[in-house]
Amino acid sequence: MRRRRRPRGWAWVAPALLLLGVFVYLPLLQNLQYSVMKWDIYAGGSSFVGLANYEKLAGDPVFWRALFNNSAYAAVSLLCQVFGALLLAALVEGLRSERWRRALRAIYFVPSAISLTVAGLLFYFVYEPELGILNALLRGVGLDSLTQAWLGQEGTAIWAVIAMSQWQGFGYSTLLFAIAIQRIPQDLFDAASLDGVGPIRRFFQVTVPLTREMTGLMIIVTLSGAFQVFNEVMVMTSGGPNNSSQVLVTWLYRMGFGRNDFGYAAAIATVIFVLTLGIALLQLAITRKRRVEW
Amino acid sequence: MNNVRLRVCAVSAAVLIGLTACGGGTDVEAADLTAEPEYEGTLSILTKFGGEPLSPYFEDLAAEYTSLHPDVDFEIIQETDQSIKDKTKTLVASSALPDIYFSWTGDYADKFIEGGLATDLTSVLAPDSEWGGTFGAASLDAFAKDGKYYAVPLYNNGKFMGYNKAVFDAAGVAVPTTFEELLAACPKLEAQGVEPLAFGNKDGWPGLHFLQQLFAYNVPQDVLEKDFDPATATWDHPGYVKSLEEFQSVVQDCTGTGSDSNGVLYSTAQQAQSSGKAAMYFQEILEFDSVVTDASAIKAEDFGIFALPAPEGAEGDPAALEGSPEGMMVNAKSPRQALAVDFLKFVTSKANAETLAGAPYSQPSTIVGAVSDATASPAVVEGVAELNDASYLLGWLDAVTVPDVADAWLAGGEALVSGSETPEEVLSSVRAASDSAE
Repeated sequence: MRRRRRPRGWAWVAPALLLLGVFVYLPLLQNLQYSVMKWDIYAGGSSFVGLANYEKLAGDPVFWRALFNNSAYAAVSLLCQVFGALLLAALVEGLRSERWRRALRAIYFVPSAISLTVAGLLFYFVYEPELGILNALLRGVGLDSLTQAWLGQEGTAIWAVIAMSQWQGFGYSTLLFAIAIQRIPQDLFDAASLDGVGPIRRFFQVTVPLTREMTGLMIIVTLSGAFQVFNEVMVMTSGGPNNSSQVLVTWLYRMGFGRNDFGYAAAIATVIFVLTLGIALLQLAITRKRRVEW
Repeated sequence: MNNVRLRVCAVSAAVLIGLTACGGGTDVEAADLTAEPEYEGTLSILTKFGGEPLSPYFEDLAAEYTSLHPDVDFEIIQETDQSIKDKTKTLVASSALPDIYFSWTGDYADKFIEGGLATDLTSVLAPDSEWGGTFGAASLDAFAKDGKYYAVPLYNNGKFMGYNKAVFDAAGVAVPTTFEELLAACPKLEAQGVEPLAFGNKDGWPGLHFLQQLFAYNVPQDVLEKDFDPATATWDHPGYVKSLEEFQSVVQDCTGTGSDSNGVLYSTAQQAQSSGKAAMYFQEILEFDSVVTDASAIKAEDFGIFALPAPEGAEGDPAALEGSPEGMMVNAKSPRQALAVDFLKFVTSKANAETLAGAPYSQPSTIVGAVSDATASPAVVEGVAELNDASYLLGWLDAVTVPDVADAWLAGGEALVSGSETPEEVLSSVRAASDSAE
């Protein structure tokens, strides 16, 4: 009997590679190409300018402000959405009542079901200086001196946006950590209890080490997400006032679509790509070495 | 096997090259705009009339035009004032600019003209032509460059202070004739329990409107026009600092939100006047009929307008007004230029211009005679008359300057509102942006 010739492996993956090439890697290469060009979309022409866009970027104070804002975003998100969420998940999963556990999981998860754009708009009204609920609450408890235009002041705008993002993303992270904790064999918790280990030591010696893979994943997702943030800033402040709440992607958007400087926008995009790629590679390298097994 | 691999690689490369080659523009010969068009095909239009009550205007006209010429179809893209800039750039970058598209005047229009994207309409639209003669000459000139006419001005627009006559009367305040009188009136109006002047600067541009009107008063016209062009700009006339200081005064002394105004939406301010909670609100003619509606607390008989009063002893032109027409261009790369022009003639016919001027659209048409007591509200008629009488119409600050300078003004205006920068610091940032854009 004649044996049917089976296609080689590469033939099976060729369509996927072609699609990846066209829709992922080609745009990446084109972005690199545009970042060394000056591109006038109205005249339909472009010219090679070397590293001029990168030199401009190094001397652009708003770019550095945006980078600082993204870094602040990353730091707060790490604190809240990784370490805070892990702690909360451990507390919720440690509750004896299954009914309470379910109810709390649902309560924490609800904000995550709302789109960022909708949440941004909702919080725009929460922060509104005259009609917003936040200032109303502050006035209600006699803290009138603290009321202000949270999104309209340069010192508070980005922090108000970051706070909203934590509210929106916290429940999702908590849920993922809850799932990771549920995967830890109950025997380990029971053994720790029999050995007289208290809840705090149990958290650090059982929960933290055995959720390390999820923690590593969450760190990657949170950090790279913090450098790609766009929707909430655009909806709530558009990067203002006076560029105080710009982040890298809103500044990229402003340069491309506001100032028609697509070459410069491509240079910012390259920086974002390098940052997020670096974060991903670093974290992958760390987590690969420390695989959790039981 | 190597041959197969080579073939796969070659096909992949061809697909990639083919895809990257997409999006190139097509050069089209200039059409004879005076000839009878071929009434067939699909006309694409990009408007700024997205949302109510404006969106039906072009849709209805397109349907009516199709009933006259059954072989003509339409593809209408309707954007809003906020979204149209981004949409237009996306369409330009992808070589998908519609046959007819919206434009502001100034640097915004110049980019299309210099980029070869705007059809030269002079042969049919010059002021001495049959069609051109139906427009107000100043409106046509606002889109002219080097003696050629590039856009059909659809409606005129200008900025005025809308005020509540009842509140003014109760406070014993007369319409201010100087900027100083305006500032002095604010505490009296506040004593009536209302916000003297509603102001929301969340998007930055409402502040620029105050600044541009004050520049017109404090800086001579020739200096302004020199400074709008980065090649000749110096931005060093003392009238600029004076204007920035006056803007700060009006924000601090007259608005209820003061340095918090960057956190307030423009529409919130509009609503404050509409609901009777604010005595004044600096607004465009296009907004008059949105403030005063059947449901608003302020009634038509209580709504009045006046130009932002000029400061005493100002060095510029006290009779200048901020405003400019807004219009439609014809894509120079469209194969249906003649048909596009024919449709625009239909849009700007006297009857359709009157429809545009009347309720519910309330857009002050540029067609002579279209805005009258019979078609428009008294405030709109008064605003258009004042625009026609103005000695000089100064376009929007973020439209007449290049994008880098417009951005610097936008950020600077917000910094002035919040008090984080001095007028000198703002002006210094503008000079730096202008120098780098040169």
